[in-house]
Amino acid sequence: MIDEETLEILTESAKYDVSCSSSGSKRANKAGGLGNASAGGICHSFTPDGRCISLLKILMSNDCIYDCEYCPNRRSADVRRARFTPDEICELVINFYKRNYIEGLFLSSAVFDSPDKTMELMTETVVKLRKLYNFNGYIHLKGIPHADGAIVMKAARVVDRMSYNVELPSEKSLKLLAPQKTRQSLLLPMKSLNEAIEYDKQNKVRHGKVLPAGQTTQMIIGASPESDGQILKLTEALYRNMNLKRVYYSSYVPVVQSSKLPTVGAGLLREHRLYQADWLIRFYGFNVDEICGECENLPSEYDPKCAWALRNMHLFPVEINTAPLETLLRVPGIGAKSAYRITEARKFSKLDFDNLAKMRIVLKRAKHFITCNGRFYGSESFAQVKTSLMLAGSREINEQLTMFSDTPTALSALTGEI
Amino acid sequence: MTIYITDGSPAAFFTAVFDDCIITSDTQVQLSFDSRVVRTEYDEEKCARVRRGIAKYDPLAEREILIALRSCDPLKEQIAFSYIKKLMQFKCAINKRLNMPEVIELNEIIYKVNGETHRLKGLLRFMESKDGALYAPYTPDNDITDLLMEHFTARFKNEKFVIHDLKRKIAGLYNGRECIMGYAGEAEIYLSEYERAFENLWKKYYKSVTIKERPHEKQMKGSMPVRYWKFLPEKK
Repeated sequence: MIDEETLEILTESAKYDVSCSSSGSKRANKAGGLGNASAGGICHSFTPDGRCISLLKILMSNDCIYDCEYCPNRRSADVRRARFTPDEICELVINFYKRNYIEGLFLSSAVFDSPDKTMELMTETVVKLRKLYNFNGYIHLKGIPHADGAIVMKAARVVDRMSYNVELPSEKSLKLLAPQKTRQSLLLPMKSLNEAIEYDKQNKVRHGKVLPAGQTTQMIIGASPESDGQILKLTEALYRNMNLKRVYYSSYVPVVQSSKLPTVGAGLLREHRLYQADWLIRFYGFNVDEICGECENLPSEYDPKCAWALRNMHLFPVEINTAPLETLLRVPGIGAKSAYRITEARKFSKLDFDNLAKMRIVLKRAKHFITCNGRFYGSESFAQVKTSLMLAGSREINEQLTMFSDTPTALSALTGEI
Repeated sequence: MTIYITDGSPAAFFTAVFDDCIITSDTQVQLSFDSRVVRTEYDEEKCARVRRGIAKYDPLAEREILIALRSCDPLKEQIAFSYIKKLMQFKCAINKRLNMPEVIELNEIIYKVNGETHRLKGLLRFMESKDGALYAPYTPDNDITDLLMEHFTARFKNEKFVIHDLKRKIAGLYNGRECIMGYAGEAEIYLSEYERAFENLWKKYYKSVTIKERPHEKQMKGSMPVRYWKFLPEKK
């Protein structure tokens, strides 16, 4: 039977990893097999910190030969160490999955012995899970930098998603805080995995596709001095060049004492704003340059779309009955679902303000930027619009604030200082 | 006014739709003085004619109506009925007329049924019994057991399992080959010897993966309402 303390150590070491999503793969069940993947992803529980549990997120081992400043498992840290065997992990996954506790496995690891050894044992685990235990649920595997490409490819053929964490938003910060990892050791494997995915796509490979749910990455925000603009530029480049599915941001939490690290956390509001900007880039047709200047930070008082609209008041108001979808998507307060509802409904009849409210379109922000049948329901004064957007946003900020445990962090989040 | 009381089955509902009336499966319904109550008996021909009529104008509408009829909303039959009347009036699909009140109302209850189904795909918990079969008791708001059966038969193709709605006293059974639905009052279950151990491991995992420095109970409860907690080992 699996040891409870080992599970505790290897879970606590893995919990700061942000990603837990199980979406993007449609892996089917096989004869004699257990499980499948659901394309939309499924959440199985929620923890008191408000995050969802979808995958069993654990480390294979937390006994690391690297000494990254920010990491609680770094070599010089005085913490309990533990390791799971491949069979223990398989047994845990199968039994949790059967009880519907989880959607699959998210396996990561500290680098023990050597990068190759670590990657080899992780690969052995996932191959065993697929071939021996006939498990067809979701598997997300973390890539180990500096590990041999052939081992990585072997793993990529059986798992749904892989991720190499870029860790920090610039090479300079990486050198300072994670000296044993180099930018190349993170980007090169990402690139070759992307090439393998592209090859499958071009050759219309149906079965045994490499990484059907693609790649993601993660970076720590606020442990180093980069601006939001730089972070978003890097994000955009990763989406464009590596075809990543997601870039995750993890706001820095000071769990480790170090002279090279700030003593206060970055605050969740900054993380939240970055995600909003990330969404604008991926789903709303925005360029980074429109949202945030290279050396600037995102405004804290309202969301990046509101900020963009306030800078571009000459483009508004737009008529709800005629504006093209791309334009509707740029109206503050109107999201992808609302925009779709509007474009569908207006094919049949003209929409007025009441219609929009009944269709559950949130008008608190939007009313200042639209007309319905030529009528405008917002405020004419720019100052008033600004205040009302800030008020609409303050509820959101308050909600974010409840996440902070202490006031200094909360204040720094409000003022945007780190 | 005539009020047609149905047994809650889709067949009885479609039979009642044949006449212009108020339809409900809610036996607590408030009656006015002049109301005439008729208990609807399933009529194969009437039911089939209504279904054909719906399919003629919108082949996808029946599936949508069937989902709406699983709702716990006491007005569900009335909402579905108004939708069908509009469909007959327009003689073409109306589902994209997203500002029409009948469409909004139907979509709203469909949204809730689908939402709960999706949520329970994650929150349903199975226990392993002595003979290896999996058993999941739950009390959903809406009647969604057969929708969940679809999901879990694909996923647990080679397992034996039971999903038991304790509120409606119905259960879906899958024996590794086929699926049946039926009445099920109470169940007695003998747990496998490993059940407690895995439950404890799961509780340990749940506790360990939480970041205590970032409490946000409100968000947790928003995504996982308290009424579902009684069947979650990690929350018991």
